[in-house]
Amino acid sequence: MAKLLISITNAKNDTDRATVGCVVANASVASGVETVVFLSTEGVRLAQEGYADDIHEEGFAPLKKLLTDFVDAGGTVWVCSPCFKKRGLDENKLVPGATIVGGAKAVEFLSTGAASMSY
Amino acid sequence: MAETQGHLGSEVFYDFEDMSCGDLLIALMKAMRPLSPGTLVEVRALDPGAPIDIPAWCGMVGHTLLVRAGGPARVHYLIRKGGAS
Repeated sequence: MAKLLISITNAKNDTDRATVGCVVANASVASGVETVVFLSTEGVRLAQEGYADDIHEEGFAPLKKLLTDFVDAGGTVWVCSPCFKKRGLDENKLVPGATIVGGAKAVEFLSTGAASMSY
Repeated sequence: MAETQGHLGSEVFYDFEDMSCGDLLIALMKAMRPLSPGTLVEVRALDPGAPIDIPAWCGMVGHTLLVRAGGPARVHYLIRKGGAS
């Protein structure tokens, strides 16, 4: 199975990039590709329960729905541990399907032949 | 305006109107998943990217795009479900 890691490094600082990253992730997982969304730097905020509830870019589905659809379709969400901790976020309030990982996990996935895109 | 009936003789019809990109593909995946392999499905999709995305998606997930038709805009697609989701 093909593999794709989609790196999202933005949240409310650039909702356009954050949203399009999720949209492309959905296109990937719906196409039978093993897909990981890797949230790092500001992007980790998207993994905090409630944070993304009011992000709705014109012309796209709300970001919360995009992430929920992604996980329901079998996608994986990884959250950069040091980025998450640096921002003082609560690891007990992650959105469903999100897992806090270190960079090694992303590197391991890429080293198995996964392609990557960055938003 | 959404349509409720297909024109290509399928067993199932879905109108995705102007959904695009990942939204469209997730919706297609959800719609096709419960159907039995071999089911004929007609899809209406108005997004300008759909003529490229739908054939590509069918190829990736094992469905067969039989017909693209439906007036000058050719926004109707007849798909035979394969063995995948």
